[in-house]
Amino acid sequence: MALPVSADATPAAPVRSVSARHFVRLKLRVMGNNFRGQGWRIALFVGGALLGLWFAASGFFLFAAPGLTDNGRYAVLVAAAGGGLLVLGWLLLPLVFFGVDETLDPARFALLPLPRRTLVTGLFAAALISVPALAVLIASFGLVLTAWSLGGWSAGLVAVVGVLAGLLLCVAASRAVTSAFATMLRSRRVRDLAAVLLAVTAALLGPLQVFGLAALREADWARLTGAATVIGWTPLGAPWTVGIDVAQGRVWAAPVKLLITVVALGALLSWWSRSLESAMVGAASAGKAPVRRGVAGGAVAQLFPRVAGWTRRDQFGALVAREARYWWRDARRRANLITIAVVGIFVPVMINVTGGDFAAMEDEGLTAAASDSSPVVVTISMVFVGVLAAVTLANQFGFDGSAYAANVVAGVPGRVELRARMTAFSLYVLPMLAVVAVVLSVLLGQPGWIGLTAGSLVATYGAGLAVNSLVSVLGAYSLPETSNPFAMNSGAGLAKGLLTLLAMLSSAVAAVPMVVAAALLGDAWLWLALPVGVAYGLGAALLGAYLAGDVLDRRQPELLATVTPRR
Amino acid sequence: MTVEHPALALRGLAKRFDGTIAVAGVDLDVPAGSFYGLLGPNGAGKTTTLSMAVGLLRPDAGSAWVLGHDVWQDPVTAKRLLGVMPDGVRLFDRLTGAELLAYNGLLRGMDPAVVDQRAAELLDVLALGDAGRTLVVDYSAGMKKKIGLACALLHGPRVLVLDEPFEAVDPVSAALIRDILTRYAAAGGTVVFSSHVMEVVERLCSHVAILAGGTIKRVGTIDEVRGGRSLEQVFVEVVGGRTATGQELSWLSQ
Repeated sequence: MALPVSADATPAAPVRSVSARHFVRLKLRVMGNNFRGQGWRIALFVGGALLGLWFAASGFFLFAAPGLTDNGRYAVLVAAAGGGLLVLGWLLLPLVFFGVDETLDPARFALLPLPRRTLVTGLFAAALISVPALAVLIASFGLVLTAWSLGGWSAGLVAVVGVLAGLLLCVAASRAVTSAFATMLRSRRVRDLAAVLLAVTAALLGPLQVFGLAALREADWARLTGAATVIGWTPLGAPWTVGIDVAQGRVWAAPVKLLITVVALGALLSWWSRSLESAMVGAASAGKAPVRRGVAGGAVAQLFPRVAGWTRRDQFGALVAREARYWWRDARRRANLITIAVVGIFVPVMINVTGGDFAAMEDEGLTAAASDSSPVVVTISMVFVGVLAAVTLANQFGFDGSAYAANVVAGVPGRVELRARMTAFSLYVLPMLAVVAVVLSVLLGQPGWIGLTAGSLVATYGAGLAVNSLVSVLGAYSLPETSNPFAMNSGAGLAKGLLTLLAMLSSAVAAVPMVVAAALLGDAWLWLALPVGVAYGLGAALLGAYLAGDVLDRRQPELLATVTPRR
Repeated sequence: MTVEHPALALRGLAKRFDGTIAVAGVDLDVPAGSFYGLLGPNGAGKTTTLSMAVGLLRPDAGSAWVLGHDVWQDPVTAKRLLGVMPDGVRLFDRLTGAELLAYNGLLRGMDPAVVDQRAAELLDVLALGDAGRTLVVDYSAGMKKKIGLACALLHGPRVLVLDEPFEAVDPVSAALIRDILTRYAAAGGTVVFSSHVMEVVERLCSHVAILAGGTIKRVGTIDEVRGGRSLEQVFVEVVGGRTATGQELSWLSQ
């Protein structure tokens, strides 16, 4: 069947129109091809699927519990809180930890004559084909079971519609938000705004934490149910509660809540579709930097940013200077730095201070609240921040991609390479950690604990650097060369998750001595923590660079091959 | 040749990827001071061979020597003598041109003052000085090739290995690159480069090797390989192309 090029220059109508089905099949095909001949990838995928299934099963029983025990009292609470958490998780976790699977990179479709609506529905349908989406689907059918056992088949049917809409909402939310943030981080003008927005988003975790704590304390159930009812009327909880509403006789609520969900879904998809446009045009609209003239100094002076100005002008100095520039100029790395800053401040404050607030309600006094936090709890929360900061380097060579070839060609010794990378990263992270230590001590009303907080932070961070430099040499993986800093290769998701988990666990184990010392040594530790912590962290980092550097020397070309994206 | 070692010597280099053989035992001697062209169609194994020769890709078998120094046993010395411009590899492109040169110079252990002076000269000669504070990622394809070449030349290597230096380069930049390479070779340096553009190879090279299907098919001085014919004729004969009959793709003509 020939397709003649018509003489009057109007293209012939396509024989078959493109539908979402094609995108789904394309995604399955790409995933399948990624597995070909790579046993470990299949193993990782199966592992991830099993993990997802396990989560799905526990979620299912949690959601089904009110139905199985035939206890309608908690049904709304479980549905609204659990469902709301699911949506929030889909919203925030990709930004902070996991990234989004960009098996189908929107930029690849830029040249195809596809209407935007087709493209968005297609990519959306493809995004639904994933293990996490399937896990959510399985888990949320617990709600269907609850609705069915409480209100019969009609309630069950409505619940099915509800959870399907809820799943769509989850996926649309994660796509829209990551895509919008990617656009913002790419643009050189509004990236600071993006940082603030991310901070606010993370701050949303705060009220949630309070809510969770209240639930744990089994406080006033009536008040909680009231809150859950309110959440049920927001897009966060609406799709998950419709079935229970029908079961409990509020049939009129179901269409309204479904409408709320559909409107939210439509808004998210149109938001996504707008930021997709800029993702598709990609580098062209990345905002060409104006050609700035009037360059001061020679090439060497230009290379060294002010933060790295103190280093010698040699191999080590050049590596530090280039890394320091990259942590700021590379959107992917910058996104990581912002995450550390935001999470590093909020998590310890939440653990230590909001916990205190609840104690305050009970003890009717702020002083009592402040002393509620013990040195051990503070140390543990600091360990978390230190581990989180250091784990950013777990795939530090993956950030470079094939550009790492320059260092291989120049034959940079592994130890110099790793020490320089640690130094450059610390130029940004150590000041942040100092701020965390001071802010937390002040908020707790215990300025004398600065040594304790700073000491445990530095010790954990140093030990984490050591662990992660070894992980980065042995467990590197390639990142896709797209402009989306949250994008990941398909199949790399679980590898990344496992590797991150492993690195975080080992770093945390390496920091255990600090926690033990905090528990055993009492007041003397408040003074000893800083010097001991700094010595411990520095020693660990240097030892890590020494050992991992040796490994790096032996497998430079292999490392280059693993971080080079396949095309 | 007064030098006892060849500038680049390859013996039995072989590499397979996922069961497909990319390079099946390449032997090559590049005499010092020569201008050596490695010719081959797409997928012949040029990039793989050169990557193994300069220490970017570990070979499954065989070895490579730069002026008598084994690339895989004594990489430090060998790499010091080499200047490399890989193809299909990113530069550290979030730096400006000057920053990138300074980075590479210091990475090679050069004196900062020398780096400054040579970087300024290279940027000037390659007409990259106007780019100012533009990041390399925003450079055009031709400018990227030129800054890559500058990085390879900066430390004054004895042997220059370039992968596809003329790909995606406009005629003006190509002439500039040709000039610089000719001067470098005239001053006693050795240039090895891969290409599939016959006229460039014919114009520049003293020696040629034709690589196809992972093995060397023809090798020698350019006159030996040509044997009185045009290089393109020899190349097509060795590689074995198909000729169009005029029957297929008839729908292209309206």
